[in-house]
Amino acid sequence: MIGFLRGLAIFIGAMFMQWWWNTHCSYWGAAPQFLLVLTILIAARRGPVLGMFAGFGWGLYLDVARAELFGASALTLTLVAYLVGVARRQIDLRAAGPLAAATFLFTWAGFIGLGLLGLIFTKTFEWSGWIAVTATPFLNAATVTVAALAWDAREDR
Amino acid sequence: MQRETRIANFVLGALTALSLLLLSLPLSTPVRSFKAGVGYLLDPLAYHGEAGYRRVAGSPERIRKLLQADIENESLRAELRRGEWLSTAVASLSLENERLRRALALRAPAGRFPVWVHVMERDPIHWYRSLVVDAGSDRGVSLNDSVLGPRDGRLVVVGRVIDVRQNTSTVLLLTDEFSSAAAYLSSGTLEGLVQGQDGPRLLMNYLHAEAHLSEGDLVYTSPTSVTFPPDVLIGRVVRVNSRHPFLTFQSVEVAPAADASSLQELMILRALPIEGEAKPPAYAEEAQ
Repeated sequence: MIGFLRGLAIFIGAMFMQWWWNTHCSYWGAAPQFLLVLTILIAARRGPVLGMFAGFGWGLYLDVARAELFGASALTLTLVAYLVGVARRQIDLRAAGPLAAATFLFTWAGFIGLGLLGLIFTKTFEWSGWIAVTATPFLNAATVTVAALAWDAREDR
Repeated sequence: MQRETRIANFVLGALTALSLLLLSLPLSTPVRSFKAGVGYLLDPLAYHGEAGYRRVAGSPERIRKLLQADIENESLRAELRRGEWLSTAVASLSLENERLRRALALRAPAGRFPVWVHVMERDPIHWYRSLVVDAGSDRGVSLNDSVLGPRDGRLVVVGRVIDVRQNTSTVLLLTDEFSSAAAYLSSGTLEGLVQGQDGPRLLMNYLHAEAHLSEGDLVYTSPTSVTFPPDVLIGRVVRVNSRHPFLTFQSVEVAPAADASSLQELMILRALPIEGEAKPPAYAEEAQ
C-alpha cells in the first residue's frame, strides 16, 4: 500500500514538476523532459513493464495539452520504455554514464518518433525547433544522472 | 526473464494498439470524450499548481510590501511625534519669547547686577514658600540676593536667595512665613514691615497707630531695606485690620504683586559682579 501511494505520489509529482518547469523555467523551448527521463529510469531500474505503464500515463498527460496527435506522446514513451527494457539486457544501465548516454539517444529518438508520427497521421513532421532538439538531450542526460544518483542513494539507505 | 519479456511484449502490444487507436481515430465523440476524461483527471494538476504558484510567488512581494508599510508606518509615527513635540516646543518658545520681550523692556534697579533666570522647580505643597531657579554660583548668584519678577510691565518683589549651588539656587518667596521686608505705603510714606504668612496674602505690621489706612494703597520696598532695592512694588493693601487696643501699631493685609504660581522668569539682582564683568547698563539709571 505504501509502495502504491509512493508510486502515485511520484507519478503525480513528476507531472507537476514537468508542468512547473515548462511553465516557469524553460527558456527558448529548452527544458528537461522529466517524464521521459523518469520513464527511462524506471524502465532501467524496475523493468520495461512498469516503465511502459508509467510512460503511457505520462504520455497521455502530455497529449492532453496537444490539439492534435492525441496518443503520440503516450506511444513514444511506451516505446522508449520498452526499448530501454531491451537495452538494459545488453548494457549496464545501472551505471551513470551508459544511462546518460542512453537517455541522450532516446531523447533524440523521441523527437524523431514524434516527428514521424506527425508525418504519418497529420502529414506534417512535428519539429520542435533547433534549440529544443539540441539542448534537451543534454538537459535530459544531466537530469537522469541526478535522478539516478538520488534513486541509488535512497535505495542504499 | 522470458516471462518478463512476454509480459513486456504483451503490454507493449496493448498500449501501442491503444495509442494507435487514439492516434488514428479522428477526433470523434468517443476520442474527444476519452481526451476530456483524461484532461478532467490531469488538468487540476496544472490549474491548482498555477494557482498555488501564484499564491506562493506573490508572497515575498506581499511580505515585502507589508514590511515596507510597517517601516513607513513607524517612520510616520515618529515624524508625527516629532511634529507634535515641535509644535509644543514652538508654542512654548513663543510664549517665552513674549514674556522675555516684555521683560527686556524693564529696567533693573540701580547698583545691582541683574541676571535673568528660569524657574525650574517648585514644590506644590509649599507653593508660597520657595522655588528653585536655574542659576547658581556659576552665574554669580550669592546668598541674600534679591529676586524680582515681571508683572504688568514692571518689576515686583518676589523674594531672596537663601541657598546657592553650582547651577541652581533656591529662592525664598516673600510669602514664606520667614520672609520679611521693610516697606512703605504709597499714600503716606508710612513705613512698616511686610511679612509672609505661608499663604496668598502678606501682612504689613508696625504701621503708625494713628495713621489713616485705606484699601488699595500700594506697598513698596523701603530705602531702609537691607535686601531689596528701594521703591520696588510689593503689593496692594486689600484689607485694613481693626486696631487692637493692646497694640501700639496697625496692620494691613497685602496682596502680593508677584503671583507665585505663574512665575517663570525672574531677575536676580546680584550684589557683587563676576570677575571681569562690565558695569550693568541699568547701573546709573533711576530706580523704578
